[in-house]
Amino acid sequence: MFKKTYDWIDERLGITPIWRDIADHDVPAHVNPANKMSAFVYCFGGLTFLIIVTQILSGMFLAMYYVPDIVNAYRSVQYITDEVLLGQIVRGMHFWGASLVIIMMFLHMLRVFFTGSYKAPREMNWVVGVLIFFVVMGFGFTGYLLPWDQKAYWATAVGAQIAESVPWIGKYIKTVLIGGDVLGALTLTRFFAIHVFFLPAGLLGLLGLHFIMIRKQGIAGPL
Amino acid sequence: MAHDHFRERIPGTPRFKEKDKNKPIGTEPFFPNFLLKEWIVGALFLVAFMLWIVFNPVELTDVANPSDSSYTPMPDWYFLFLYQLLKYFPGSVIWLGSVILPGIAATLLILAPWLDNSKVRHPFKRPVATSAMVLSLLLMIWMTYEAHVQHEEHLASQPKKVDQSAMPADTTLVDANDPGAKIFATSCAGCHGADLKGQIGPFLIGVGNKYDEAKLVDTITKGFPPNMPPKGGLASDDQVKQVAAWLAKQKQK
Repeated sequence: MFKKTYDWIDERLGITPIWRDIADHDVPAHVNPANKMSAFVYCFGGLTFLIIVTQILSGMFLAMYYVPDIVNAYRSVQYITDEVLLGQIVRGMHFWGASLVIIMMFLHMLRVFFTGSYKAPREMNWVVGVLIFFVVMGFGFTGYLLPWDQKAYWATAVGAQIAESVPWIGKYIKTVLIGGDVLGALTLTRFFAIHVFFLPAGLLGLLGLHFIMIRKQGIAGPL
Repeated sequence: MAHDHFRERIPGTPRFKEKDKNKPIGTEPFFPNFLLKEWIVGALFLVAFMLWIVFNPVELTDVANPSDSSYTPMPDWYFLFLYQLLKYFPGSVIWLGSVILPGIAATLLILAPWLDNSKVRHPFKRPVATSAMVLSLLLMIWMTYEAHVQHEEHLASQPKKVDQSAMPADTTLVDANDPGAKIFATSCAGCHGADLKGQIGPFLIGVGNKYDEAKLVDTITKGFPPNMPPKGGLASDDQVKQVAAWLAKQKQK
């Protein structure tokens, strides 16, 4: 039954080569904790991806209830937290997941750095990885404002102030960042759009590149 | 034997008999063997994560209030090292901390593969790269810690929010156009609040229930040095009397 379904699709779309590219390869011994426990450091990248997936999922569910305007944003977060079934849990996943992504990604970066895995021919993948890091920091910065509570508002106010301190072009950066002269309604919609449309697009593109390059170049050999 | 029968099915035993003797020892097919193990690790990781979430519910502070600039801002913890860096470049050189240094650090990080371009990979065999990263790491941890400590110190130095738990439920002011009320609004409201709900000083809603006018005159005249000056900073005894007379009327329940 499964075999027949698979063959039917394969005849029409030729998915076997794609499937082979993704799944049919051997995992070398030195990255497999089943061989040597210390190889667990090679898990950090995969765990980062796992948490990014849970961030995307919990974010999608939060977006069902969240309202990005200054009158309702706070109330909708309150509603998610207090009224929605499992809302407290989903919000908790998204909140704590944000920190966990940073932690796991940082550990992954340290592993790559200290094992010298970024050396030729994998330089480009390192650059993509650093860009992913910056994008994730962008997620953190924009997402922090969305609950529209005091903590969120004043942290972003400081961020805007810092942007303004850039010589010559500071005030233009600030205007682009907060969408006007004051931190308010336009800032919230802008940060929401960046958080749920612009940055995810960028992140998924970069992650795609990251994984394609790993498959193309293979994982770096043992030290 | 039944035992052997099972062994062929648990993840970790090879999915197929290796025919290729040239493969290095210890390699394992990604699918399904290695992926199943990864899933186990991932599942355990998620369970720990979910437990953490259940026991650490996320708080929501008060709704954003753009006119309340007394709120002490604090970025999320992973931005703290950058936030702390700014404090070392105050005033007109802040751009050194906000643009130049982070810019240099980010550029060095991106260019790492070209700066550290020897063939060797072991961290002990490339001391410059390794020590540079260890040092930056220690610096980041220290600055994050320092930002946290300074934030806590700042919070501790802030005047404490007055305890309003014993305040009467009815907070409507009695006789808000009284001359005493006008004196209060200019001289006393800064600490006790224009609505009498208290700021740095205690709330005065319902103060008339506890004290009569004479007692209030006495209390204001003495003050509470050093927090409240004698006469509460009022110019004359007459003003004290007018304020006390108005406060004595505040008998909210």
